[in-house]
Amino acid sequence: MDITLFTPKEAHFLNSSKQIINGLAEAAIDMQISNQQQPQNSHTSTSRSSDSGEPCPSDKWASRLLMECARAISEKDSSKIHHLLWMLNELASPYGDCDQKIAFYFLQALFCKATDSGLRCYKTLTSVAEKSHSFDSARKLILKFQELSPWTTFGHVASNGAILEALEGETKLHIIDVSNTLCTQWPTLLEALATRNDETPRLKLTVVVTASIVNLVMKEISQRMEKFARLMGVPFEFNVISGLNHLGELTKEGLGVQEDEAIVVNCIGSLRRVEVEEREAVIRMFQSLRPKVVTVVEEEADFSTSRNDFVKCFEECLRFYTLYFEMLEESFVPTSNEKLMLERECLRSIVRVLSCDEENDRECERREKGSQWSERLKEAFLPVGFSDDVVDDVKALLKRYRTGWSLALPQGEVAHDSGIYLTWKEEPAVWASAWKP
Amino acid sequence: MKAGFEMVHGTTLDTIQPHESWNSYPTVGFQNPISIPFPKPPVTENRCVNLDRNELSEWVEHITKQLIDDLPESTAAAAASPADAAFHTATTSSDDNNFHQSIPGGELRPKKMLRSYLETDGDDESVQWNNNNEIFQNGRDGTGLGLSKVDEHGLSLITLLLECAVAISVDNLGEARRMLLELSQLASPYAESCGERVVAYFAKAMSSRVINSWLGISSPFLNHRTVHSTFQLFNNISPFIKFAHFTSNQAILEAFHRRDRVHIVDLDIMQGLQWPALFHILATRIEGPPHVRLTGLGTSMEILMETGKQLSNFAKRLGISFEFQPIASKFGDIDVSAFQLRRGETLAVHWLQHSLYDATGPDWKTIRLLEELAPRIVTVVEQDVSKGGSFLDRFVGALHYYSTVFDSLGAYLGSEDPSRHRVEHCLVYKEINNILAIGGPARSGEDKFRHWRSEIGKRFLQVPMSANSMAQAQLILNMFPPAHGYSLVQGDGVLRLGWKETSLYTASAWTSCTSNIVPRYSC
Repeated sequence: MDITLFTPKEAHFLNSSKQIINGLAEAAIDMQISNQQQPQNSHTSTSRSSDSGEPCPSDKWASRLLMECARAISEKDSSKIHHLLWMLNELASPYGDCDQKIAFYFLQALFCKATDSGLRCYKTLTSVAEKSHSFDSARKLILKFQELSPWTTFGHVASNGAILEALEGETKLHIIDVSNTLCTQWPTLLEALATRNDETPRLKLTVVVTASIVNLVMKEISQRMEKFARLMGVPFEFNVISGLNHLGELTKEGLGVQEDEAIVVNCIGSLRRVEVEEREAVIRMFQSLRPKVVTVVEEEADFSTSRNDFVKCFEECLRFYTLYFEMLEESFVPTSNEKLMLERECLRSIVRVLSCDEENDRECERREKGSQWSERLKEAFLPVGFSDDVVDDVKALLKRYRTGWSLALPQGEVAHDSGIYLTWKEEPAVWASAWKP
Repeated sequence: MKAGFEMVHGTTLDTIQPHESWNSYPTVGFQNPISIPFPKPPVTENRCVNLDRNELSEWVEHITKQLIDDLPESTAAAAASPADAAFHTATTSSDDNNFHQSIPGGELRPKKMLRSYLETDGDDESVQWNNNNEIFQNGRDGTGLGLSKVDEHGLSLITLLLECAVAISVDNLGEARRMLLELSQLASPYAESCGERVVAYFAKAMSSRVINSWLGISSPFLNHRTVHSTFQLFNNISPFIKFAHFTSNQAILEAFHRRDRVHIVDLDIMQGLQWPALFHILATRIEGPPHVRLTGLGTSMEILMETGKQLSNFAKRLGISFEFQPIASKFGDIDVSAFQLRRGETLAVHWLQHSLYDATGPDWKTIRLLEELAPRIVTVVEQDVSKGGSFLDRFVGALHYYSTVFDSLGAYLGSEDPSRHRVEHCLVYKEINNILAIGGPARSGEDKFRHWRSEIGKRFLQVPMSANSMAQAQLILNMFPPAHGYSLVQGDGVLRLGWKETSLYTASAWTSCTSNIVPRYSC
């Protein structure tokens, strides 16, 4: 194995860390080699192919090098930082196997951190995404993702189940949808409403958009939703609220809440976009709407408690996104453009969380785990367990996908108490819960 | 080894004519290649007409010619760009290096000239090869192309890519990174369009380079086993490697005519894919096989030993008396004694060039050692892409070259094909990355030869590639539909294989046997 690290001119980099670097390099190469010697199914290659669709083992060279680099950054060990970034730069690729991808995306964040260019990078990525998103591309992407993975549909099915049960017998429904799901949750609900035994209720859907990118496509979505509701024979009204600086600004009047409406607050992946200090206020605001039920779905990760500890935050971020990338790798075909787009979207979040200043914490997506959200929500609401019917629906949903997915209940608590978890290979991935006043 | 070898071999036994040009080769009096009395084989061309040209590649060529012409002197004309010069000085030292400071010169805006260029409509032009393969510098006035077939999206991506290259060439790294972030979100390596794939990989290579610039480190870091296995895959899905192997083997075979002790030196043996086919032919010679010694150079002794073992086993099965000598060094780093040359041995040196890593070390030492070895035949297969010069020169050349390579892969395999993806990602991309890297493919900042054939031609005598070599090449092309997309040309004694009129690989052969070199060993 040939590592020609340095030319004589750069000897000043050599001094202290050559041992470390050689050791790391050896380890990295050894891991790559051992990856290749695993038995192969592919007949076209004699060594590990990144396209054979085989599982990406976690805990390999990428996470080791990345953690070393994160530590070096927090210790301000300049020479080590340079060496590790160099190695990552040579080994990483957004088009390779899981390790290479993780290495690539986290390398970008580390590089931004080291060069203090995180915010600039984030802004560029956001503006590119806004320019290049269209209704068609966004829709195609979401639908493909939902076809191949229950990552999003899990939350939809659980929430819809809880919503339908809470709204039994109500005739005037108002769902406040605080999410960026492009309304993919609602067709099934509309169908369920249309086929209810009693008279079909009226539905008002107010979508509160928190991601600027989604905002651009809402017009098309509203047209489609209205059309679909007509088809289902459900009296329907659709509103969009966007351009809020933060969710706490919402009011009853602003939302068009009327006294005789049965209110539902459906919050999918949105609480994490609220600044940490304002989360309590937002929950109180939900409380003030006097909803019949609040459904909350969030991805299971904690970037919040460690936000002042770079290495810890980095570690958790790495854990979560490794899980996500591995899941994507196994759910999609190797050369899938949709998978690529989903991976690329992660870059924005990763850069934002790891390399941007604290002052601009808005849009930061500081995720919290289900147990943490539960603590917050318990201040204003009581948990509602998902009924057996809903749990069965979720299980039936999971059966439609590849193996690896299952349903889990929170440890050590009364059954169905604080939500349910979607797990990927035994790791909790997404948390869904329901709450009442 | 693969069945493909046997198939070609079987059919060529009939077509090999004994006593090719070799024996008529003049040995008396110093011969200048031009005045060889032996008639040069007629220039035979094997082009197809009525092809869809490589639109993207042509458009790129015209645009970039304009771009290069219009650049200010200090960047385009300089032998070493500021970006490359930066490599030689220790640029970065600490974290205070404020990365995104804009350097003046960022005013350079190719957009305007690109736009004015795009607005002209014109007739398609045919692209001719010239000997230097510096196609983008041919003296024609470029007129605009009909661009209806190249889609809008692809165009905007390429434009952005070019702007980015210009930014890098003037060291405006902050601006370059911004544009690369954009490109990295827009171009997909799995796209239907080859142009988009090319942009995705070039953008990635430039990203890598930008980070290396900031780090001040440009050394490569490579897993050779991955490279070798991908090389083998490339060999299966594309004819270029087989072309290199079979045409060289033919020239070597002819040089070994009636010799019973032969020594082959392979400057970068990898897995030795080339040699079984030659062994096969040697084993079935009328006069019986020679004693064969093979010296293989490579990066890792472990891999060399494995290769040696496989080749030994193969030779044994064929009844060839065989010796293998591994040398885990670069050719330019060793001296003559390492080869343990023996009296009475006929020496052949073979070099299949690539841009994956620096296989041979310092160029001037390489050529000197070649001279010292005084082989009966030197077979060289070069890629027709310039690996030296300024960043922008290399960028433009590589864009033209590799968009042709991508195009050829795309004609053979679908956009979702995993083998195609693997070759593009693990092999072709690696080359692009190296060519664009600071210090070029060798990453050493050393001044590398731009054009090996001319350097070799100063010290060796050319041996024209024979009609048999041409026949071999033709047979190989027939294995890879659409065979008509490839262009195989014989001219100036060399064989060129390309795709749709762009030459990609050139095979040539040389000998040191002139009378004013006193051979140490029988020539």
